[in-house]
Amino acid sequence: MPDIPSSIDALVERLARNMAQRVSRRSFIGGVGALLFGTAGMPLLPVARGESTTPAGPNTATNPGDPQTCEYWRHCAIDGFLCGCCGGSGHSCPPGTEHSAVTWVGTCHNPGDGRDYIVSYNDCCGKSGCGRCLCSRHEDDKPLYVPFRSNDYNWCPGSKVGIAYHCTVARIVGVAK
Amino acid sequence: MNRTQRAWRRAALALLACICGERGWAQLPAEPPAVEQLPSRPTPHWVWVNDTSFFAYPDGRAFLVDGDSGKMLGMLSTGFSFNGVLVPKAGGVIYSPEIYFSRGTRGTRTDVVTIYDATRLEPVGGIEIPPKRASILPMAAAQVLTDDERFLLIYNFTPAQSVTVVDTRSRKFVGEIETAGCALVYPTGPRSFFSICGDGALLVTTLTDAGTLASHVRTAAFIDVLKDPVTEKGVRWRDTWLFASFEGVLHPLRATGASVKAEPTWPLFTSQELAQHWRTGGLNHLAMHGGSGRLFAIVHQGGPETREELGEEVWVYDVASRKRAQTIAMRNKVGSIQVSQDSHPLLFACAMENNRLDIYDATSGKYLRTVEPLGQTPALLVTP
Repeated sequence: MPDIPSSIDALVERLARNMAQRVSRRSFIGGVGALLFGTAGMPLLPVARGESTTPAGPNTATNPGDPQTCEYWRHCAIDGFLCGCCGGSGHSCPPGTEHSAVTWVGTCHNPGDGRDYIVSYNDCCGKSGCGRCLCSRHEDDKPLYVPFRSNDYNWCPGSKVGIAYHCTVARIVGVAK
Repeated sequence: MNRTQRAWRRAALALLACICGERGWAQLPAEPPAVEQLPSRPTPHWVWVNDTSFFAYPDGRAFLVDGDSGKMLGMLSTGFSFNGVLVPKAGGVIYSPEIYFSRGTRGTRTDVVTIYDATRLEPVGGIEIPPKRASILPMAAAQVLTDDERFLLIYNFTPAQSVTVVDTRSRKFVGEIETAGCALVYPTGPRSFFSICGDGALLVTTLTDAGTLASHVRTAAFIDVLKDPVTEKGVRWRDTWLFASFEGVLHPLRATGASVKAEPTWPLFTSQELAQHWRTGGLNHLAMHGGSGRLFAIVHQGGPETREELGEEVWVYDVASRKRAQTIAMRNKVGSIQVSQDSHPLLFACAMENNRLDIYDATSGKYLRTVEPLGQTPALLVTP
């Protein structure tokens, strides 16, 4: 069996020497800059990914309403069973399910602070449908040929557990400009 | 008891024995075990009610109903995230794209096109395809047959977009055609179809006789997706596909083989009707009767965000004159419709929100009958 760390060292050294022969310092810095800018810009893309942030608590002055109701402001473009009724919450999946890696996003107006928020509707996957609190709203929802603005897809195909759809969360991912 | 009384008593007992005895009742014949079989050809008034079983997603079903009698004729069990069956005009079989997991909701995923015998409703074959079929709210454009019914085309979303091609003659998976940025399948001939792209353009795909990719042509955008997109629920009349926009503009796309041309649009609603917020709505909200050239559209009153709301009326348009010809009041709110293609057509109506099928005379608009309960979340109606 080869010595893996040594092999990696040798590979990196070979790539670095190769790059030094072909690429000028300015273009290298430019490339690294483009990579960093691109990476920083990724969370801004309309394909929301699964990492969570600290959620805002519901039923407060700045986050009014009940996440277990269809009328809750974040549910303006949701289509599915509300995870808050299924053992999860408005922003977290129920036990034993997997947060879908990719999903669709909507822009919802928060009457609590008057701001528009980008909301990521992640499906929770790996079990049959929860069957509770079905909610279907379509503010600025688009047809299937605009996938990342469409709530008629089951977004579980992006998860490891496959397409078994259980329920949907509505996570804030940022303020809409 | 004298002799006369005894005689009467004997007569009465004899009569009683005659009435109540084993021989007095008409005897029912013995019944051997039996399984029904359907006629070899469907009638034009049969309809497949495809039920995605959203509350029990692994257990999709397709119900076959006779629209004339309201009788349920049979059912298929069709697996996970079921969209609908395909009924070739050639008859004999039913195609059903299905998904299964080795352990119900988990384990190894297998996608298959199951082939059912059309009279016995039993599986007689299966074609395994890549485990990529789009899991969506049901719609006709997710899976179609080419015009000569040789190839079955299935829309994939993983979320990479592509189309699976199946050869119905050899009953084999042919291959996968990438349609990056473009969704769904709308046939335009024996070897061609188009998909709608995210920027409002069309991707026109032509196939070789073997079902592999011959060419891809991308058209200019025919809609402004941000301003007023069309729904995916287009219907076909002769060589033209008809799509309704969110704001009630009808977009005809004349499609012959590799050529797809946007024809002049026309409004489904007058300015007064728009001011009253009439719009099309529902999951599968359009149906076309080819013989009469009449377009059926589910309508309701509401804002732009109500585009999938159920409707209380179906408005009927004469496509040639571009005029509304009829209004049919629905007995129950409706999300999906279909019309039979014979000269005395029936209008079928259902909604995922309830489990019934309403049947109307499509010419007079007269309500005929309701079949209920029927399934769980019926969403897509397919007529032979």
